[in-house]
Amino acid sequence: MSEHHITPLKTYLAVAGTLFFLTVVTVWVSYFDFGSFNIVIAMGVATLKASIVALFFMHLLWDDKKNLTMFVMSLMFLGIFITVTLLDTGFRGGVNSEVESPINNRAAFYDSLPLTDTHGHPVDEHSADHHGEGEDHH
Amino acid sequence: MAENQKQNYLTHPKGIMSWLLTLDHKRIGLMYLFGGIAFFFLGGVLALGMRLELAAPGNDFVSNDTYNNMYTLHGAIMIFLFIIPAIPGALGNILLPLMLGAKDVAFPRLNLASFYIYTVGALFVMYTIISGGVDTGWTFYTPYSTTSTSNVIPMTMGIFVIGFSSILTGLNFIATIHKMRIPGLTWYKLPLFVWALYGTSLVQITATPVIAITMVLLILERLLGIGIFDPALGGDPVLYQHFFWFYSHPAVYIMILPAFGIISEIIPVHSRKKVWGYKFIAFSTLSIAFIGFLVWGHHMFTSGQSVFSQIVFSFITYFVGIPTGVKIFSWMLTMYKGQVSFTPPMLYALSFLFLFTIGGLTGIFLGAVALDIHLHDTYFVVAHFHYVMQGGTIIAFLGGLHHWWPKSMGTMYNQTVANICCLGVFLGFNGTFFPQFLLGLRGMPRRYATYDQQYAELHNYSSFWSGILGLSIFISIMNLLWSLRKNNKLDPGTNPWGGMTLEWTHTTSPPHPHNFEEEPVLEHGPYDYDKVIVEPTFKK
Repeated sequence: MSEHHITPLKTYLAVAGTLFFLTVVTVWVSYFDFGSFNIVIAMGVATLKASIVALFFMHLLWDDKKNLTMFVMSLMFLGIFITVTLLDTGFRGGVNSEVESPINNRAAFYDSLPLTDTHGHPVDEHSADHHGEGEDHH
Repeated sequence: MAENQKQNYLTHPKGIMSWLLTLDHKRIGLMYLFGGIAFFFLGGVLALGMRLELAAPGNDFVSNDTYNNMYTLHGAIMIFLFIIPAIPGALGNILLPLMLGAKDVAFPRLNLASFYIYTVGALFVMYTIISGGVDTGWTFYTPYSTTSTSNVIPMTMGIFVIGFSSILTGLNFIATIHKMRIPGLTWYKLPLFVWALYGTSLVQITATPVIAITMVLLILERLLGIGIFDPALGGDPVLYQHFFWFYSHPAVYIMILPAFGIISEIIPVHSRKKVWGYKFIAFSTLSIAFIGFLVWGHHMFTSGQSVFSQIVFSFITYFVGIPTGVKIFSWMLTMYKGQVSFTPPMLYALSFLFLFTIGGLTGIFLGAVALDIHLHDTYFVVAHFHYVMQGGTIIAFLGGLHHWWPKSMGTMYNQTVANICCLGVFLGFNGTFFPQFLLGLRGMPRRYATYDQQYAELHNYSSFWSGILGLSIFISIMNLLWSLRKNNKLDPGTNPWGGMTLEWTHTTSPPHPHNFEEEPVLEHGPYDYDKVIVEPTFKK
């Protein structure tokens, strides 16, 4: 923090070149189908690009290491949030298979959609009492 | 010198603009204090209104819709406009630079900006109230919050804005603690209140952005129909709860950690004894801040989340009890064989120990999945979090206010009245909320304006004592304000409790506009009562 690092123009151009190259890679791999690895590859390239931007353009590589620690910590918290949430969504059917995915029959928000009963048959709008006036849904 | 001593931050410089555009952390802290107390009053009136309605089983005073608005606003105002900003914003701002021997916080302009951002957020909330209120509960759970016709958007917008004030204050405090300490004030010589503010600030900057995102996603779904939480559009309503509690559980620690810090200051000073287990208290603060990020799912045991994550969350929840227990035992051992004096701040600290322990232990009940499924959304939960939030944070806030009032305002309130009020708060609080544990165990659900006859007696009892509680808090605040009358100034050298931290030993009461006339030199640790004698001085 005490000394200000001056990055040579060459480095900036090299970083910019790398970023353009990786953009080309992103486009190129989109022509192939890797199945469930599509998202992993796309996110991997994006993460690499973001890291290069943070390290070189944002000077984290040369700054006081506290700043890098803060940056890595914020990624760690994001990681905690996503992984632990996946512990829920990834295992919902573990005990009761019927709660595997959220009930999709009818959300009160979409009053414009035609009402159906549990078998998918149309129901008369006025006789159905689905409007969410209630105080508590749980 | 004499002329210089008369100068203090309250009277110099003069004029309304010198307050509105002040960069002085003490003045900004005072503005937060009075803003916070105004919202505390508003939230309190709503609470008393609800208790009045609940005194008898039927719809006696308000309709169900009005009641829904009342509990939503009570919760949102108390949490977002009072408890979260009050201790860091008010007491933290006033005390942090003084405790570090600094002239101000690291970024004074940013500090003023965060106060005004808080004000803008508060205006959104006021607009919500004037334009008809909001009835979703302070958690804004989907799907109701995306379908309710009440003013969800201005309210969530207000919370979004207030979040930035919280983030900026946290950022400012972290920079201040790292960079503004006087030479020799190493980490282990910091007052424990500073450690508490540090832990709080870390949580503020890491968790608060998530509530901002959550509120934006909710607004986007309401306005544009983008499917984030609605299953009909491929969303997931439980995801909202993950988002919300990923912030709001750590936010519980934003609310309680500064309170722990206040108690860690009050107890050694009023027991005239070195704090027991300094490092344990300091590191338990940081470990609570971290564990707080891993337990949010215990708010969601009945939401339909997977059984696997229920077990994981329940298990991790118990870990919170370890650092919290470390603190409680350290405070008790600090008092052991000390010269405990029953001053108003100490009485509040003792009340805190009782009430917070009850709140913490009932939290262990609720952390157990099987029991929580029975107790979820009952008055047991209401009683539990009031024991933690009011019995913990607000009691500690009142204690801190009484402790540092002579320092920040240069006047002394009537201590007998303050002691009686503290007793009134303690009795009124238990009278109000203990019956609610019993109501919850018997199945009384929260958030209803009416109830079955079998609950009438306990509700009636709770309502009666809530009046005593409200009155006691009101009189104690009035008692403080009454001390500001003319010709009631203390001698600037007053150190009424014999505190050893820099704000007591090295500056006047109220402090100099630039905090210290010259840079203080550290002579002893914050709680060295075993090495140095600092006598309480109390002169008018």
